[in-house]
Amino acid sequence: MNERILIVDDEESLRMSLKFKLKSAGFDVDVAVDGEEALEKLKSRRADVVLLDINMPRMSGIEALNQIRQDFPETEAIMLTGFADFSTAIECLKMGARDYLVKPVDTTELVTRVRSLMRSRMSERTLQEVQDRISSILPNDLVAPLRKIQDLLDQASKLERDADAKERKKLLASAREIITKMETNLQGLVDVSKRVSLLEPRERG
Amino acid sequence: MTEQTHAKLLRYVYKLSFDNGDEKEFEILLDEASLELQSDNNEPKPDWTKLKYSQCENCPLSDSVQYCPIAVNLSRLVSSFADAASYEAALVTVESPQRTYVKKTTLQKALSAIIGIYMVTSNCPVMDKLRPMTRFHLPFANSLETFFRSISSYLVAQFLLKTKGTEPDWELKGLREIYKQVNVVNKGMSQRLLNATKTDANVNAVVILHSFGDGISYFIDNGLADIEPMFDVFLKGDKDSFAGSVPPN
Repeated sequence: MNERILIVDDEESLRMSLKFKLKSAGFDVDVAVDGEEALEKLKSRRADVVLLDINMPRMSGIEALNQIRQDFPETEAIMLTGFADFSTAIECLKMGARDYLVKPVDTTELVTRVRSLMRSRMSERTLQEVQDRISSILPNDLVAPLRKIQDLLDQASKLERDADAKERKKLLASAREIITKMETNLQGLVDVSKRVSLLEPRERG
Repeated sequence: MTEQTHAKLLRYVYKLSFDNGDEKEFEILLDEASLELQSDNNEPKPDWTKLKYSQCENCPLSDSVQYCPIAVNLSRLVSSFADAASYEAALVTVESPQRTYVKKTTLQKALSAIIGIYMVTSNCPVMDKLRPMTRFHLPFANSLETFFRSISSYLVAQFLLKTKGTEPDWELKGLREIYKQVNVVNKGMSQRLLNATKTDANVNAVVILHSFGDGISYFIDNGLADIEPMFDVFLKGDKDSFAGSVPPN
C-alpha cells in the first residue's frame, strides 16, 4: 500500500501543485484547508506524513502540530512556511516535526525528503522491533534457560560417579534439549538483525 | 490623465477593505495594445530592487541594467503590505473595463493577482510570454481556471504562428518550458521579497504564482483528461458536430 500524505494549506493552488507532484511520485495524497480539517481527516483515516503550513487561519500550523503529536504520534510532520523564520523552525522541530521547508517548495526536493523520512521511519520501526524482540527473548529464552542449564549441571556434578550414571545421563540430556531451543531462538535474533542490515544501504542512499 | 490617453489604456483597480477598517487601492494601467505596464512610480528605489540583488538564475538582462524591472514596479505594493499576514481576510473589489468582481478572500490571494499582473507586464524577458493573459485577467481564479487560460492563450499564439507560416507547437512542449523558466523567476522574486518584508503576505503571493507553474505540466499530462468530457461535442466524432462539419477545401 502506498504511503499516505496529508497536505494542509489554506491556499488552493499550493495544495493542488503539491498534490499533483506527490501523486505522480506514487503517494496516496489527501488535502485539508486548515488544521481543524486536518485533525478531522486524520481521525477518519491516518496518514504517514502531514505537510503542514505554519501560517493558517483558525488553527495555526504550530497548534495543529501540537495536536497531531498528541493524538496521532505515528504521523510524521513536515512544516511549510513562506517566511524563513528559523526560531519558528526550531520550535517546530522541538515539538516533534521531522523537517521544515521554505516556500516556494522545490517539489523534487520535497519528494526526496518525504521518501527519506519514510525510509528513516521504516528503519526506526525495524530497530524498535529488534529491541522489543531482544527484550522479550533475553529474560525468557536466554537468561532463564541458562540458569536451568547451570542447575542441571550442578545436580549432575553432585551425583556419585557410578551409582547415578543413569540419572546423570538424564540431566545432561535435559541440558542439551534446552541448548537446542536456545539455538533456535538465537537464530531468530540473527534473522532480525539481517533485516536491519539490509535496510542500512538504502538509508545511506 | 486625459480622456484620450485613457482610451488607449486597460485599467484594473484593486480595492482592499480589511476587517479593522483599513482600505487600500491599487490602480494598474496597461497599454491596451502591447499590455505593457504604465508606471508612474517615481519614488526612490529600495536596495532590494537592484538587478544584482538576489538576481534570478536565468535572468537574461545585461549588466548595464541597474534595476530589476519587476522589482521596481512591485516596490510600492510590497512596502504597503510589508507587515501583513498572508491569511489576513480582506473584502476585495476588482474593477476591470468590462465588469466588477467582489470577493471576501485572503490578502495573499489578492496580492497574488496584482503581483501576477505586474510580473508579466514589466518587460522582464522571461515573464513576457505570459503577458497576453493579462488582457483576460480573471481575479480570484482557481488552479483549473488559470491552467485553462494559460493553455488557451498559448494555443492562440500557436495558431497565430501557423497563420504566419511557422510550425505550431500543439504538444505544448514550449508551454512547459515557459513555466519552467517562469518559476525560476518566481523563486528569485520570492527570495528578494523575503529580504524586503517582515511577514509572509508578499512572499506567499508569489508562492501562489509559483505553484501554478509547478502544476501545469502535471495538468497537461493528467488533468486535461478530467475535463475531456466537457469537450465530448468535439470528440464523439458525430458528423454533425463542429469537429466533423469542417467543409472541404
